[in-house]
Amino acid sequence: MNKKLKSFVSLALAVGMTFSLSACQSKETAPAPATGGTQAPAENKDPIRIGFFAPITGAAAADGLSTSNSAELAVSIINESGGINGRQVELVKYDDALDTKQAVNIAQKLTTKDNVVAVVSGSYSGPTRVAAPIFQEAGIPMLSGYAIHPDVCKAGDFIFSQSFAGSVQGKAGAKVAVDMLKAKRIAIIQVDIDFGKQLAESFTEYATANGAEIVSVDKFAMADKEFAPVVTKLKEEVKPDLIYMANYYGHGAEIVRQAKSMGLNVPILGTEGIDSFQFLEIAKENAEGVILTTNMNRDSENESTQAFIKAYKEKYGIVPDMVGASVYDSFEVLFKVIADVGTEPTAIRDAIKGLKNFETVTGNLIEYAPTREAIKPVQVQVIKDGDFHYYGVVEDTEIITPPAAN
Amino acid sequence: MLMQQLVNGVMIGSVYALTAMGATLIYGILRILDIANAAAYAIGAYLGWYIYSISHNLLLAFLLSMILTGLIGVVIQKYIYYPIISKPNVIPIVPLITSVGLFTITGDLIRLILGPNVKEFGVVFKSGAIKIGKLIINPEWIFIIVLTAVLFAILWFILNKTRLGLAWRATAEDSEIAKAMGVNTNISMALSYILGYGFAASAGIMVGMLYNSISPTMGDIPSYKMLAIIVLGGLGNPVGTVVAGLIIGLAETLVSAYMGSILPRDAIAFIVLIFVLLLKPSGLVSKKSA
Amino acid sequence: MYFTVVAVNVGIFVLLALSLNIIIGYAGQSAMGHAAFFGIGAYTSALMTSTMGISFWISLPVALIVTGIIGAVLGLISIRLKDDFLAITTIGINFVVVAIFQYSEIFGASLGMTVSKPLFFGVKMTAPMYLTLIFILIVLTCLFINKMNKSWFGLALASIRNDEMAASSLGIDVNKYKVLAFTLGTAIAGLTGAVYAHFMTFIYSSDFAFIVSISIISMVVVGGIGTIKGAIFGAVLLGVAPELFRFLADYRMIVYGGLLVLMMRFQPQGLLGDNSFIMRNISKIFANIKKQKGGGQNAGNA
Repeated sequence: MNKKLKSFVSLALAVGMTFSLSACQSKETAPAPATGGTQAPAENKDPIRIGFFAPITGAAAADGLSTSNSAELAVSIINESGGINGRQVELVKYDDALDTKQAVNIAQKLTTKDNVVAVVSGSYSGPTRVAAPIFQEAGIPMLSGYAIHPDVCKAGDFIFSQSFAGSVQGKAGAKVAVDMLKAKRIAIIQVDIDFGKQLAESFTEYATANGAEIVSVDKFAMADKEFAPVVTKLKEEVKPDLIYMANYYGHGAEIVRQAKSMGLNVPILGTEGIDSFQFLEIAKENAEGVILTTNMNRDSENESTQAFIKAYKEKYGIVPDMVGASVYDSFEVLFKVIADVGTEPTAIRDAIKGLKNFETVTGNLIEYAPTREAIKPVQVQVIKDGDFHYYGVVEDTEIITPPAAN
Repeated sequence: MLMQQLVNGVMIGSVYALTAMGATLIYGILRILDIANAAAYAIGAYLGWYIYSISHNLLLAFLLSMILTGLIGVVIQKYIYYPIISKPNVIPIVPLITSVGLFTITGDLIRLILGPNVKEFGVVFKSGAIKIGKLIINPEWIFIIVLTAVLFAILWFILNKTRLGLAWRATAEDSEIAKAMGVNTNISMALSYILGYGFAASAGIMVGMLYNSISPTMGDIPSYKMLAIIVLGGLGNPVGTVVAGLIIGLAETLVSAYMGSILPRDAIAFIVLIFVLLLKPSGLVSKKSA
Repeated sequence: MYFTVVAVNVGIFVLLALSLNIIIGYAGQSAMGHAAFFGIGAYTSALMTSTMGISFWISLPVALIVTGIIGAVLGLISIRLKDDFLAITTIGINFVVVAIFQYSEIFGASLGMTVSKPLFFGVKMTAPMYLTLIFILIVLTCLFINKMNKSWFGLALASIRNDEMAASSLGIDVNKYKVLAFTLGTAIAGLTGAVYAHFMTFIYSSDFAFIVSISIISMVVVGGIGTIKGAIFGAVLLGVAPELFRFLADYRMIVYGGLLVLMMRFQPQGLLGDNSFIMRNISKIFANIKKQKGGGQNAGNA
């Protein structure tokens, strides 16, 4: 009996501790001001709180840093220019460590403790996907910077995606391959996560429908670095006339390096996953001539794009990449709609939905599709003289409009 | 194509063997599954990168990085692992968790000091790839294979031809008896860590050169893959480790070349391991034949 | 609500730690792939509710049984391996199971599985309901373990743990009991997985990766291996840690790793293990109280 009793006491203690520990924490977060959308903006001088989460530690820390840089840059620029309608913006930032369990905790904290009016996700699909239903239920709009899992936006009408749907970019890539580069025999190398899978699938669909043949598909895990076997196989057996890489900069850099050293001289087409200065740094001269689909046109004459690149470079000493640009976009959209309609979350949601032809650093955001995924032209860039440059743009409505939700 | 793939496999296999050698030497004496070897691998790569970037001397980068990392290993062994394993009734999971803690700290420390971004390693060999018929061999591959062979030769010499090595082998066989016979087992332990972490460091630099990149998370895959390799090699057996590293390297290469993407690369090492253990529960090369 | 959600997450780890403790604490087997069984339960129930449309409440016992059966089979296969060989083989099982989730279309492959929120008498399960459910499961598991420890089975496990050779010479079927412990531990992990999948509403292969197994083991060891209170305490402590250390921002993981190293260095028997500094002090206090009251109750209740 004694032992049983003891174990129960400790059990009760343990559960009690969970609550008391978390209660300790609640004291740290001072009760935030109620977000009064009904008040006239000019009267309320309290800061507008916007939530943000990204994988600042863990395996995706490089992307976490890039997006968190962008988030802070966006907020500091708006605050320096006097805030939104006279109110300063306060960033409530959390690290999800690329862990869905932590993302659930964070989402709950943002919605019930931090009183944010809207949230931007700077994280991957997993954390963004589990957080989305929580924001939906709380009625707080979330813009996902670059997580393209199709189920993210399906969580409900408060959830938006700032990057184009995965299927859009896959199709746009196929158009570049088939129409611009005249490829007939295409080899696909894809990273085996939602990003690679979706892009490769929609690429295949469009490419095969337009007369090209997919001659091989090789999948590999996120942390893989060894591509010599695959490149050897492509060179000696498959003999494609184009390689489509649905993967990230680390993989891409190693593939182009191997291709060069093995003498596999075929056009290589990448995606936004290699749109990073890190790709250029590792791949060096081997990256020359690589073409990619992405959202930011480095040669754009758009003032805000150039201003963003310049401000980011000045503040952080590195050039912004695709994930950073997408998150910056998300903040621009929020600032714009909050300036227009105030801080009431439902009004913010409606304003995002109604947004049309809004100029962002990644070009013209035409509108959000009924699936709440951004519709914008897909930029095609080429690597020349160690930097990204304009190669073309895919604007066909039937390609850049995401398919309706099923 | 087969020849080229075999070269690819031997290449990656020898890097695996070198990576796992550190863990083997440590297990041989201390009976610890030391995941922190992967931390030494990352530290070694960063030290090597730093030394190379200021001196532009690759040999110096290797030597200095191996020595420094080896010394870090001795400190960790002396102040963390040894006190833990010398306590009575400590279950083997305790040092393992310690090593996970050390590994976590290291990866995050590198991130905090140098940032999470990938860094270019920056060693460039002037000569282009060497072609023998259809076979293509990169100069850095030759460098890596030769250096690995040299390191293994030195290891073999130390373990088999020196008094230090004799003491090491005696301690590995049975540390109690060795102690009773007057062998200084503390020196054997220190030797394990100097060599173990030094080897891990050299493997880190090689991988940095091979992929022209280093990052704070570069130790993630080696941290568990080397466990599969050292077990496959018979736990604590240096010769077995070389054989196991080559087998895993070749298996991964051939599967990805001829069977496509039927299996994630990470699972291949463990599937090979499970099969071998089912047939031979003490690993490929059992202790006695070392 | 935030506390409730954190508490559910912690509660899930408590169940995992309790179940792993049956295998490594009571049976003394170095099982390092517990997350695999957590995942098998999660995917089994997700498949039932979200693909086949079966009720969550039916999927719970099914996940328990299916995972237990798989655990028994894998236990039978790997039981002849000793110590570190067993440890690494179970790590291998973890990797292979994750690979199967990652590559099978029925498990959503690399897109993961979206899991529908279950209903409880027509109402969608909320976080407080999950907390209640988890709490009940924890209590049931504790009662079960208590009962088990006092049974013939528990005594047999204790004797195997102390001296396997001696136990075997006394006629105890060592392998049978080891496999049984493996089965029970993995089955409870499977049940936990079923709750987890429906609480998260989305599961992905890497949610059950080796690193998760390591977290669970750390909880058991930090708390104090082989005791109920130790497993619970360790799970609560390390489960809350990532949230508790948020104010450390960038230094969060370093502190976590440092804590792990320090605890292992100075308290390898776990914070609430026998002879840990906390337990020594507590037992002193208890002893004093007992003295004052004039003797305690007798232990021993089957």
